[in-house]
Amino acid sequence: MGRHVVGNAAELPPGSRKIVTLENRSIGVFNVNGAYYALKNSCPHQAAPLCAGPIKGTNLPSKPGEYRYAREGEIIRCPWHGWEFDLTNGKSLFDPHKCLVKTYEVAVEEVREEQEEPSVETYRVQIEANKVVVYI
Amino acid sequence: MEQVEEMKATRSTGRAIIDCDVHPYPKSVDEIRSYMQEPWKSRYRGSGRGFFDNPVHGMRLDATPPNGGGAGTDPDFVREQLLKPFGHEYAVLMPRAFCNLLPDPDYATAIAAAYNEWLADTWLGKHNADGVFKGSITIAHQDPHAAAREIERWAGHPHFVQVMTDSGARAPFGQRQYYPIYEACEKHGLPFAIHPGTDGMGINVQPSPGYPTHYIEWHTCLSLAFQAHLVSFLTEGVFERFPGFKIVLVEGGVSWLPGLMWRLDQEYKALRYEVPWMTKRPSEYLRDHVRISSQPLERPDDDGHLLQMLTMMDAEHILMFASDYPHWDFDSPKHAFPKLPDAMARRIFYENAKEFYKL
Repeated sequence: MGRHVVGNAAELPPGSRKIVTLENRSIGVFNVNGAYYALKNSCPHQAAPLCAGPIKGTNLPSKPGEYRYAREGEIIRCPWHGWEFDLTNGKSLFDPHKCLVKTYEVAVEEVREEQEEPSVETYRVQIEANKVVVYI
Repeated sequence: MEQVEEMKATRSTGRAIIDCDVHPYPKSVDEIRSYMQEPWKSRYRGSGRGFFDNPVHGMRLDATPPNGGGAGTDPDFVREQLLKPFGHEYAVLMPRAFCNLLPDPDYATAIAAAYNEWLADTWLGKHNADGVFKGSITIAHQDPHAAAREIERWAGHPHFVQVMTDSGARAPFGQRQYYPIYEACEKHGLPFAIHPGTDGMGINVQPSPGYPTHYIEWHTCLSLAFQAHLVSFLTEGVFERFPGFKIVLVEGGVSWLPGLMWRLDQEYKALRYEVPWMTKRPSEYLRDHVRISSQPLERPDDDGHLLQMLTMMDAEHILMFASDYPHWDFDSPKHAFPKLPDAMARRIFYENAKEFYKL
């Protein structure tokens, strides 16, 4: 399992995203209402850059003629054909069990950053809190 | 010229592609207006379809050029995003003038003419050093004689390869009021392309019974007009009257063809008496006169079903690849089809269009 620090948590506030390349894979990291998720940046339909799509809510299943718009900020749409995926689990809304995008584990961790001092054999250790880490 | 060399390098690798439906857009309304004369010049404010728009997004959201402007407005970015990555050798351009919905035939003809001049100057002119862009002559079918004159005006142009109109029309396209258009097409060896656009809008009839409520209905049923137009072309004897005339059905759906032809061939056995100018079974006209472009390609759950449909419709000879870039329902050359037999893939992605457009 590869562990990759992708940035400071403070730089990824709720509603924002960051698209990174890890181990030659394009991956989107999202802050959805304070929780972090990562999805493969490729739509399972025709391989469009899914993670670049608009983040919205959706119309939940309802009776004919009724609209129940909800889940604002939790749904991403493919920028090509508009297929909707649940950011929290990568599953498509129309067929969650068969049509889904790969997800990756995300953690927010305190990361110790070691910096090498020139020409001495000691190391200064600095603790920077709350890095977003993706495990793939 | 550096770009030309790059394009040639791309062409030598991978599968060569001819894309039969790519949409160029003007950078602004003024760009089109600059090719118009009064009284139309002041009147024209640009116009789209008006309603039945996609409620989510109508264009690929990643197709906006980095230097600004709308999707499909920058020929260099189209090269970067579409032609180079997929190995396109040619892109057949289908401008969207939406002039076919207007009640005033003179105004509609003026818009068509301005679009043709704009396309010739820009995408087919100063942005076409490598010759990858091939154009469609926009016509207003409201005035078939004026449309024929517009075809005459551009027929000698090296990069216009067909005549095009929206599928929206006041009457099925086999009817005789349109024949001046087909006569001009036949005379100059230019196929007549039909593209969805103004069905049920302005002066045109809706191919479904009345107006649908939602975009999903309207968009799904676009294929109905294409079926009606094709049956009309065949039964009115257009291909007997104009033996050199060819048509291409662009973005009208694909897999309905076998069923429709079975039905029509069956009808013909009983009703040939009514249309004695049909000297052969309806489906026998297809290979000589009709091509269908692939996008939007129906994808059933079982790829085997689609492969059967493609075999049934003789896709190896009448289907031509189209992407519909930069529209929202763009079909990727890499992912739109299941794995095809090599010979069929070569013909669909390249050879059929190469022969049809004499490229």
